[in-house]
Amino acid sequence: MTTAPSPVREPAWSLPRSAIGLWLTESLITAAVTVAVVVALLVWIPDDLGGPMPFLRWAVPIAAALDVLVTVAVRPWFKHRVYRWEVTADAVHTRTGWLSQTWTLVPVSRIQTVDVTRGLLQQVFGLATVAVFTASSQGTVRIWHLEHGMAQRVADDLAARAERVRDQAT
Amino acid sequence: MTEQATGPVPARRTSPRIVLVHTATFRQARQLVPYALPALAAVGLGGGRWTVVGLVVAITLVSLATAVLSWWRFSYLDGPGAVVVTRGLLSRSVRTVPTDRVRGVEVEAPPLHRLVGLVRLRIDAAAGGSAGAGKDDELLIDGVSPAEGDRLRTAVLSSRGRVVPEDAAAPVPEEVEEEFARFDNRWLLYAPLVGGYLAVPLAAVGALSRVVDEVPDGVLPDVDGPAIDSPGGVVGVVAVALVLLAAGAVIGAAIVNWRFRLVRRGGSLVAVRGLLTRRHTELEIDRIRGVAVADGAGMRLVGAARVTGLVTGLGDAQRRGQLLPLGPRAEAEELAGRLVDDPGPLTRHPTAARRRRIVRATAAGLLVTAVGAVLTATAGWWPLLVTGVVLTALGVPLGRGRYASLGHATGPRSFAVRVGWLVRERAVLERRAVVGWQVKQSWFQRRAGLASVVACVGAGRGGYIALDMAADEVAAFTVAASEPWAEQLVPLTPGEVETNRSRTQA
Repeated sequence: MTTAPSPVREPAWSLPRSAIGLWLTESLITAAVTVAVVVALLVWIPDDLGGPMPFLRWAVPIAAALDVLVTVAVRPWFKHRVYRWEVTADAVHTRTGWLSQTWTLVPVSRIQTVDVTRGLLQQVFGLATVAVFTASSQGTVRIWHLEHGMAQRVADDLAARAERVRDQAT
Repeated sequence: MTEQATGPVPARRTSPRIVLVHTATFRQARQLVPYALPALAAVGLGGGRWTVVGLVVAITLVSLATAVLSWWRFSYLDGPGAVVVTRGLLSRSVRTVPTDRVRGVEVEAPPLHRLVGLVRLRIDAAAGGSAGAGKDDELLIDGVSPAEGDRLRTAVLSSRGRVVPEDAAAPVPEEVEEEFARFDNRWLLYAPLVGGYLAVPLAAVGALSRVVDEVPDGVLPDVDGPAIDSPGGVVGVVAVALVLLAAGAVIGAAIVNWRFRLVRRGGSLVAVRGLLTRRHTELEIDRIRGVAVADGAGMRLVGAARVTGLVTGLGDAQRRGQLLPLGPRAEAEELAGRLVDDPGPLTRHPTAARRRRIVRATAAGLLVTAVGAVLTATAGWWPLLVTGVVLTALGVPLGRGRYASLGHATGPRSFAVRVGWLVRERAVLERRAVVGWQVKQSWFQRRAGLASVVACVGAGRGGYIALDMAADEVAAFTVAASEPWAEQLVPLTPGEVETNRSRTQA
């Protein structure tokens, strides 16, 4: 997928395909906003303003069109290939992002709380996010867009295991 | 220890002398100001000297009354397992904080408290978890004698989860003190080169100018500013301003750090400092996960550094964690080494990281140059182009400087990472401190074979980054710098990948 080998091991499991639908919906919403802004620009700002306006009148729509194309036609599928997760015997491991990627690994022994959240769009697609918190404000790992039942099971399992092996050292 | 008698222990009260302090500072009466203002506006100020005098007397009486009331309604009790504080003028509030939740006790003696011979205790009782520790996590016991303050501090800290070893340690009632650092007044001369202390005189100037603005015009003497037409005059004014700024920084540093002393007493580190307000901060050594040695560009010029302890669950960590506010580099390094094992010299990051630092440092300058070039070509306005070129040129040494700061090291029990140029900081952390790893790689980093690694820790800033390290060293670094669970980050060897691939293809 990527030319260079990744710096760390990839998590094993991918997200359900309905996550693509959710990302696509998100992309369509942002694309609609972009298009609305560009149309407003073309309609409301007069042509004869001088300065850089004539240049912007064709440059901005082209840039917006490219942006919309990438956001709608590429990004949802690309993200589905990047987002991965894995819960092993003693750690939670995820990969997120698309152009910039982030791997996060948190050991079960350092988990403090586990949350399951369902956003509006997530509810439409039957998905949920598992958020795993540690003592560090930066050491939060989120497993995005799991099927709701699966998310609940993962959260319960992690919370129960964290209770058993909790390490007071933080 | 002898006070653990049977039967109920009566609640303790603060000293009545605190009423004087609170009356003078309008501590409780301040809350009434929002109600008093509309009332005053309604009654109207008829003017005249007697109105003013009456007003002053009335306000003082109100302040006295509220201070007495809140003293009367305040009591505290340090039981074997918890500290209970009862207070509230009308609605009673009882707060019980289990002593094993107490993360530190700070004894403060502000100037007025010192006049009447009292101190103030802040008991830091963060509720734990990732929620930010706010003011609510603090118990304030205001107005006890220094002896009682010491007793309470020791009682709270020693009854905390250390019941079993207490018997073993009982034969040694006097804990041995070991001095870790003592402030040398000559170190105050470093202050003008430290950003934080330079801000002190600037803030004072700002406050003063606001006061001058408030004063009616007629009151101020009509002073003409000195004539600064000549270049010599300008230089003189700038020189005087710089001297004043430096003096202000030194004075500010002196007020905060006067007679700073750091000692180890039993299992705690005790820091005492301050000229006007004496502060007495106690940190538990068991909770220290690492230290941060900061030496900004100015401090490096004179070989100075600052040491902060990275302590788990410490509220207001920036202030309370200070272990050496300002001092020579050697002293700072020695102190850091006493608290956390030194993992050895830092490993440099690959040259691709230098390219990346320079590119990032010059990017803004290049953008300005490009815009400037367009403006020069279209409108003939060249100053922006010159600015852009200068900025770009300055970006090169800045990028090189930032690259020179980058580094990481791993030792048997600890590891270190360093970033920054203007504000350079080397964090040395114990391996057990790491509660998670975050590996970040942008598209550009991937092409350059680099990656950034954040060690997530439940202390200090929450995360410490090793910026732009070689991508193929990341996994080994995480394994060497934390506990065995990090081995899950080690990529599969090419052989394993091959077998996996052939298996899926088959």
